[in-house]
Amino acid sequence: MVKQLGFIIDLNKCIGCKGCEMACHNENCLDDIHYRKIVTLAEHPKNFFGFLSMACNHCRNPACIKVCPKGCFKKRKDGIVLHTNSNCSGCESCIGACPFRVPQINPQTGKVEKCNFCFKRIDQGLKPACVEACIPEALYITDLSKPLSEKYHEILPGFTIIRITRPSIRFILPQPPVCFWRHDK
Amino acid sequence: MLDKNKKFSCSRRSFLKGIAATGATAAVGGSIFDFKPGSFKKAEAATGTSAKVFQNACPRNCYDTCAILSTVEDGVLKKVTGNPKNTYTRGRLCAKGFSYTRRVYSPDRIKYPMRQKGRGSGNWERISWDEALTEIAEKILQIKKEYGSTLPICLNKYSGNFDIMHYGIEGMFSSIGYTSRATGTPCWPAGIDAQTFDMGTIICNDPEDMVNSKYIILWGVNPAWCSVHSMYFVEEAKRRGCKVVAIDPILTQTASKADLYLQIKPSTDGALALGMVRYILDNELYDADWLTQNSIGYEQFFGYVKNNITLEWASEKTGIPEIVIENLAREYAATKPANIWIGYGMQRHTNGGANVRAIDALAAITGNIGKSGGGAQYAHLQTWGFNYHAMLQSPPEGSKGGKDRAINMNNFGAEVLGAKNPPIKMLWIACRNPMTQDPETSVIKKAFEAMDMVVTAEQFMTPTVEMSDIVLPVTTFFESPGINVSYWHWWMNLNEQAIKPMYEAKNDVEIAMKLSAKLNELEPGSCTFPTSGDLEEWVGKEFNDNIYKQFGIQHWKDLKKGPVKAKNSRVAWKDGKFLTPSGKYEFWSEEAFKFGHHPLPVYVEEMKATDNYPLRCISPHWKLNIHSQFQNLDWMEAINDAPSIEIHPRTAARYGIKNNDNVKMYNDLGYIILPAKITETVSEDIVVVYEAWYKNRNYNVNYTVKAIPADMGEKATGMPGISFHDNFVNITRV
Repeated sequence: MVKQLGFIIDLNKCIGCKGCEMACHNENCLDDIHYRKIVTLAEHPKNFFGFLSMACNHCRNPACIKVCPKGCFKKRKDGIVLHTNSNCSGCESCIGACPFRVPQINPQTGKVEKCNFCFKRIDQGLKPACVEACIPEALYITDLSKPLSEKYHEILPGFTIIRITRPSIRFILPQPPVCFWRHDK
Repeated sequence: MLDKNKKFSCSRRSFLKGIAATGATAAVGGSIFDFKPGSFKKAEAATGTSAKVFQNACPRNCYDTCAILSTVEDGVLKKVTGNPKNTYTRGRLCAKGFSYTRRVYSPDRIKYPMRQKGRGSGNWERISWDEALTEIAEKILQIKKEYGSTLPICLNKYSGNFDIMHYGIEGMFSSIGYTSRATGTPCWPAGIDAQTFDMGTIICNDPEDMVNSKYIILWGVNPAWCSVHSMYFVEEAKRRGCKVVAIDPILTQTASKADLYLQIKPSTDGALALGMVRYILDNELYDADWLTQNSIGYEQFFGYVKNNITLEWASEKTGIPEIVIENLAREYAATKPANIWIGYGMQRHTNGGANVRAIDALAAITGNIGKSGGGAQYAHLQTWGFNYHAMLQSPPEGSKGGKDRAINMNNFGAEVLGAKNPPIKMLWIACRNPMTQDPETSVIKKAFEAMDMVVTAEQFMTPTVEMSDIVLPVTTFFESPGINVSYWHWWMNLNEQAIKPMYEAKNDVEIAMKLSAKLNELEPGSCTFPTSGDLEEWVGKEFNDNIYKQFGIQHWKDLKKGPVKAKNSRVAWKDGKFLTPSGKYEFWSEEAFKFGHHPLPVYVEEMKATDNYPLRCISPHWKLNIHSQFQNLDWMEAINDAPSIEIHPRTAARYGIKNNDNVKMYNDLGYIILPAKITETVSEDIVVVYEAWYKNRNYNVNYTVKAIPADMGEKATGMPGISFHDNFVNITRV
């Protein structure tokens, strides 16, 4: 592997606005499925609105490739995992194998679809639509095969990220504000 | 230029004096086709050789007024993106903006004119445009004959679309005679008056200037949801070393990203500001030079503060510990430049205007007004100096009634019902949804029921349409041209027609032209609105030399190259020339006194809960809608289709309420039933319900909201605002 493109999410900056999710819908003209979703992180009594924007994690060891009986998945040299659905039978093995349940059946076609990292945009030197849409620049991409700053974390406290397939996603952990709650006399 | 702008600086609402009409570009009944959204091809869609890119402008009632690029292929709007030439929106849209294809091609759109047999019955029948216009025109003429004037006909139009051409709806009304007009603005007038008393009008620094701030107080404002593009500038300021403080009764999304969050008792913001002033005064941290050069009345103001305000009092009022107020005051006064962004939420109270004046005063005594990175940022209307050609129409010669009659938009139902000599008999609703967005829904409904005819121009079957006799289908902004500016940033975005009108939809100005033609056919001379015209040419007629000079363009068609920004944008009040009667910043405002307020920025007591209704319901904006728009679209429904009521855990425990329990929230006006969301982001004495319209739910927080006027708004906008957040309720598990 020459490269491994992946997503970085700065949870300090993410405001859960769902702009990335909708930009993905808009770019890919999606009807019934979501390539990218915003998950609300574990409910804390003083919920600091932790959000996690997640699409396909373009794993280093993708389980989907291994289980697909039709060989629909392939991994590019830049690490992007692509699904070509002409042979897809909709058997859903990939959905079961993916720790993040990323592939989804498109009810209109009966075939699987998932985030393709906007590979056509990447090939034109552009950013994925979700990244380009992120207003606070909380979501961006990087080459994870290069040495990474220690501020990029592989795990999120209080949220399970299954590491077995080596997902290409990293986090900058949130720093909540200093809060003074009301103090009525 | 300034004079021109001054004329428009009061409010978009207050210059409803006319009518206008236009020729439509698209053929009538142009493009009825059974559009299947599912027939989109995948991502390749937008890269085809026949793809064309158009410039559009989001016309919603939002700070951000985004510059949009629309990709159209074979006449179909395929996708939208932000226009990177606009350095405020930076090529990005929000979640709502990215959903626009779903709005244009929504199967729920009103496709052709329809008539309902029995308001609220759902018994609709399709009619032709000619039938609809004939019926409407005959009614107008009959009313005029019966009552001797057109005053029984009332227009309620406002913020659904802020494109300048849409003021042609008001133009249409002016061109039939003197009529009744919903006047005022619900959302922000108390703050406008406050800043008008203090500084002469509302002008804010360019929001892109926030990156130069060293200290930002986000005071009762939630840009993460309501001005999302501003969050980039807040983050960038932070990156450059700025400290960000959020003051809000609710731990909002914005507050969760701040360095410091202070939870305040709702409606006591003025007490906090005055407490800070006291500390700054005692410790001589104010900017004496600025005050002597640029203000009047600061001695009296300081006297008031010395004699009436203590930190102990401020702490008791606000619920914020004294030591925290002291620290905040010291940091704010010592860190230059410091910026306060005053939100619209915090002025929706019976003392909202007074609270804004107190915060303005805080910014002024520290010399932060007129500085890059500083300011008491509220809004501006400096880029709105258009000709209002579409709007400014003359009544037919010999029209009776003398002048238009103002009907308070903020107490609309009651004022419509109470109008006498002549009574109101007909309503025309455009760019509004009063059945969900106005307070006292039941009174609004009664007013609708009392009419001889209700006409609504709409895109969707809203509760307002459901209470109408005739609905007219209107275009989205992709289907007709226009021009848009913001009340926050300083950009101007051209809106090009990107696709043909869907179904039988028409632009509001085109509707005015057709109605004018019909009226003149039935009674020659009964309407002065032009009966034809090219809509794009009409956009051009909105421009003048002042606008060209302000934006540095030669001709409005230059905007086809991209959005432009006003040249005079950067720092408000830099020259210290205020637009008040004295030309100075007025701590002592005779003008305020004339409107029944204390001349100084004093504390005005907040409204308090009662024994029967011990909880304050705050009904702020929700991130996936703008008022009643967007949340009805499938992409939004897929993310969220359920309003809820946010309750503090201890309050919930007191009422025996658990997460997701159904809760009835009620007062003497009405009730709503909602699932509970237990969260410590709200305090114990408040509940939070976000205002919205959901397509298939009988949910409307305004069932419980009274039309209580805010303290200010009358001077600049004609009517006081609404104290939406002074809504006291009780709850029970059901």
